[in-house]
Amino acid sequence: MLTVKNIRKTYGNLVVVDNLSFEVGDGEIFGLLGENGAGKTTTFRMIIGLLEKDKGEVLLDGEEVNYQVTDKIGFVTEERSLLTKLTVKEQALYYGALKSMEHDQILKELDKWLDRFQISQYKNKKIKELSKGNQQKVQFICAILNHPKLLILDEPFTGLDPINVKILKEVIYELKSENTSIIFSSHQMEYIEELCEKLVILVKGKTILEGYLPQIKDDYGIKKVVIKGKNIPLSKLEKIKGVGTILEKDNEFIIDVLNGEVANKIFQVVKSSEILKFEAVTPSLSDIFIEKVGGYHE
Amino acid sequence: MNKKLLFLTKNSFMKKLKSKWFIVINILLCILIVCLANLSSIISYFGGDFTNKLDILVMDETHEVGPLLKKSLEEGAKETNTNISVALTKDNTPQENVKKHLGDKVLVIVSNSTDQLLTAKVISNEALNIDRYQFITNILSNIKYSYGLQKANISAKELEKITSPIIIDKVVLSKSKNSDKSQVELMIGTLLPTLILPFFMLIVFLVQMIGSEIYEEKSTKSMEIIISNVSPKTHFLSKIIAANTFVIIQGILLLLYSLLALILRHSISGNSISIMNKISTIITSLSSVQSTSSLILVIIFTIVLLLLSFIAYSFTAAILASMTTNMEDYQQIQTPIMLCLVIAYYLSIMASVFDGSTFIKILSYVPFISCLLSPTLFLLGQINVIDVLISISLLILFNYIMISKGGRVYKEGILNYSNEKVFTKFKKIVKRGLKS
Repeated sequence: MLTVKNIRKTYGNLVVVDNLSFEVGDGEIFGLLGENGAGKTTTFRMIIGLLEKDKGEVLLDGEEVNYQVTDKIGFVTEERSLLTKLTVKEQALYYGALKSMEHDQILKELDKWLDRFQISQYKNKKIKELSKGNQQKVQFICAILNHPKLLILDEPFTGLDPINVKILKEVIYELKSENTSIIFSSHQMEYIEELCEKLVILVKGKTILEGYLPQIKDDYGIKKVVIKGKNIPLSKLEKIKGVGTILEKDNEFIIDVLNGEVANKIFQVVKSSEILKFEAVTPSLSDIFIEKVGGYHE
Repeated sequence: MNKKLLFLTKNSFMKKLKSKWFIVINILLCILIVCLANLSSIISYFGGDFTNKLDILVMDETHEVGPLLKKSLEEGAKETNTNISVALTKDNTPQENVKKHLGDKVLVIVSNSTDQLLTAKVISNEALNIDRYQFITNILSNIKYSYGLQKANISAKELEKITSPIIIDKVVLSKSKNSDKSQVELMIGTLLPTLILPFFMLIVFLVQMIGSEIYEEKSTKSMEIIISNVSPKTHFLSKIIAANTFVIIQGILLLLYSLLALILRHSISGNSISIMNKISTIITSLSSVQSTSSLILVIIFTIVLLLLSFIAYSFTAAILASMTTNMEDYQQIQTPIMLCLVIAYYLSIMASVFDGSTFIKILSYVPFISCLLSPTLFLLGQINVIDVLISISLLILFNYIMISKGGRVYKEGILNYSNEKVFTKFKKIVKRGLKS
């Protein structure tokens, strides 16, 4: 279990991360969200000890993270961290040895994962000769060779096609089932929504939203209603308090609403019409992110 | 040694050792050194000749000094390894006739002179090599001298007394001072540039090597993965140890190539005697400037200063490389230390010119400069043991500061990817690093 308690990092007068706290349980996937420059990378760097914190602590299974503990951590950086002049095998041996793994153990794990990611044929190829997608796979493999207790994934799907995204997701679920705590950061909200159970949204280093995803969605409430049918009394709907803009698209009316209560009132008005579809839409994470982060800027 | 430090050091060292460039450069260096040492044999093999014979024709218009001049030229040639043949023209040969059929020969005409005793003319079709011209003029001067004494009726015994060198009992009261300029100049001219150049090259090599390796790891962002597994200090030290071990091995290899070149020279031309003679002359000259125990001290001090300077240069190169994000920045930021090295090199070569200068003495204490300048000044007797010990102490202090504080600056630098101007970034990183 990873515990991050009140960590703070400043550069001069600039507060990059401000009193950030969260916990990632064993076998839990945690999302760290934020726009560019929100402090995600700084947070990752503080978790693995690359950057010293001004205050606060980071514990992995109750132990302060230091160079004795980092062997249990895997890290996939946003930009590819590979020595491109090395072959895939040399790179794995290099990073594996830095995780205190034995030579034979590294090769065994490497063969297993290369096979899993369907790139066994590139084992002795130089990394610079591989495509971006395959380089990304190699980077991911190097991060999980040691079956980490904590895995940090900063934009892990960059450069991958849908087939490889699927393989990567499966592997992430496998690691989850092995009780690995996973922290995940991505600008692609659909991946966060699909994979993460818990998340934190950062704006300028400050937490503006945190918690379990279903709870966040529930708290956010219904903000849209989609209706399809005939003789919809639009003029009546417009008069309901809490109804925002009404948009017609593909024979459907998309209505912005204040909350679930307003959606209920709309249903009462349209139920006598010829309704083919009535949907009170649960908000997507992307909607929540845009509203929360955008609202913060306003 | 820490297991990861050992791994990183071994990895970095083997990477350099196995690189194609290392193999290619060493093959080229070996060939170059062997060829330079055997240049005369190589040229001879392809038909050239360094020692082509000089034919001298002596025309004696005094009818007295001719045989003596011939004999002196021949003996002088033996002593200086000059390949010549000397012949006297027949007394009745007209001068113009000789000039007409001179060919490659050199005609030396000696004549009597009322106010100069003897005058001479040296005539050749082509311009004469300066060494050979000097050889002939030296012999002519000696002949004039002997001829003068003979004319003045001075006996051989008297002449010997006059011409034998004065017996001097040389006593130097101050160990640090010596005024034997000619021997000093011999050393400066022959020994120092030869000895200093390889060290100069090795330091340049060291700075470039460390810089490019750290830059590569930083630019590929693999640094973040490495530093998340080992402390920056461990990473920093691994680079220093690997690069210095590599440079020392490269130095030993250069020495081996030189030995190989000498052995080959001996076996090809059997000409090692003259080299041994030259080495012996140099050692004799050095011994006359410094006592044997001082020479041993010079060697020990030089090794200590060089090793400490290698470390100082590599620490600095590593820290500077950690702050850069592209090769241009690195070239720019390392310029000051390379300038220090160039200054040290030139000051060492020209050291005898600055005899007694306090400024140069103080410069010899400065880390980066002391490695070359301090042993040179000590060798020339311009500074004493205490001065060298000050240089060594300052280098130790510098390296200590680098180990204790440099690691933090390095850590700050390797995670900095900003595109600010390189010297602005340098100031910020140093400030933050020292503060952390």
